[in-house]
Amino acid sequence: MHIKEHPILGEQLNKPITIYLNEQPLEAYDNQSIAGALMANNVKKLGQSRKLVQARGMFCSKGRCCSCYMTVDGEDHVKTCMRKVRDGMKISEGLEDPELRRDIDEG
Amino acid sequence: MKADVLIIGAGPAGLTAAYEVAKTGLCVLIIDEHQQAGGQLWQQSQILALPDIFPNMRGFELAQFLVERLEGLAVEWLLGHRVIGVYEDGQIGVTNDKDVFPVFAEKIIIATGAAENAIPFPKWTLPGVMTIGAAQSVVNRDRVKPGSSAVIYGDNSFASDVCELLLSVEVNIVAIVKQNKQLGNSTFGDMNIPLYENSSIIEARGNGKLEEIDIQTPHGMITLKPDIVLIDGGQSPILDIVYQLDCALRYQAELGGWLPVYNHQLQTSKDHVYVTGNATGVSNHSALILTGMLAAASVCEALQSLPPEETEVVRNSLYSKLENEEESDTFSARKEHIKQFSTPQLKDQFIS
Ligand code: FES
Repeated sequence: MHIKEHPILGEQLNKPITIYLNEQPLEAYDNQSIAGALMANNVKKLGQSRKLVQARGMFCSKGRCCSCYMTVDGEDHVKTCMRKVRDGMKISEGLEDPELRRDIDEG
Repeated sequence: MKADVLIIGAGPAGLTAAYEVAKTGLCVLIIDEHQQAGGQLWQQSQILALPDIFPNMRGFELAQFLVERLEGLAVEWLLGHRVIGVYEDGQIGVTNDKDVFPVFAEKIIIATGAAENAIPFPKWTLPGVMTIGAAQSVVNRDRVKPGSSAVIYGDNSFASDVCELLLSVEVNIVAIVKQNKQLGNSTFGDMNIPLYENSSIIEARGNGKLEEIDIQTPHGMITLKPDIVLIDGGQSPILDIVYQLDCALRYQAELGGWLPVYNHQLQTSKDHVYVTGNATGVSNHSALILTGMLAAASVCEALQSLPPEETEVVRNSLYSKLENEEESDTFSARKEHIKQFSTPQLKDQFIS
């Protein structure tokens, strides 16, 4: 749930935007992190572990644990606790290793 | 790029050191991986105890104060940049995730702070299990409720600040689980939250997200159904850059685990590298500010922007403030750590 009136910090969520998780539109606000905005929409599972295929979600929210990797606008392995939302952003779960050498192969 | 002093980390300690160094006329370059200076202060809404030169303020107010104080001084910023290594000639490799370039500085101050520790248990990786600091930043930075009912797991005082914050945004706190019995008063009693001491979470369960946990208490096992578990496992110094600069380390449990060895000047085993803040041992906000001033004074002395006699007076007064303001266990561990400066347990990690 989004907190509209923060008891200490007051109001901040004033610019609503739309992000898409697997094509499904979700409400977010300017300046939120992707993982935070998803959490507000009750989306906790952000991806899965490669080896044991177990659900992963936000853990540290500080950009250190890498548990929140997702694919954002075609870019794999984005730490979604550190990346801010943008209107129209397309997000999908982080399910496997990224193709590291894609641009080199294509080039 | 060039500077007299490179400060790695723009949290409270780094920003304090930057001010003290720049004030003496030296030019400072501050690098931080975040786009905004202030470090973790931005999500700290609690009132901080600070040295008497400051009024008491909340974390985000202190961030603003420390950043604004640098206006007009010879301070350059590399925000959204990370240190990723050291060149053979000693220059520091910096990247913005696109380009990599060298930075030369006479002296380096490591102010990388600390990160939260996990307390693992079976299925602790389920979405919904997170650090207590993550819950604080979701509420204060993202303005999002991390869940509707929480169990807090850990032994640290930080938990009570976050507990209050969560209650104020209507997150129900189902229980607090502590592995040890705390000495002294627990503030959780006033908040009427069930407290399980000498207890531990033995398993979490759920399909794709946390649904229930088993807690072993001295009176048997109980099962609760929170949608979030917040782990408060304390903090440990962040050492990535300490390793890269090849500084020697020692283990000091009371200071948060492994950390660089440093002397009275907060100088590491590498002559040109100093350390400050939580990277010198996890402590309170007063200590972050005071060690920021200490490292700065020593760097200024080494670069001759402060006369040695004056520096010694400044340093002594900072140490006596530190002794008053940080926990006595932390201060004695720090003294012990300084005493052991010349006998590191880990050094020369890179065979060249
Ligand atoms: S939650 Fe840890 S890196 Fe994003």
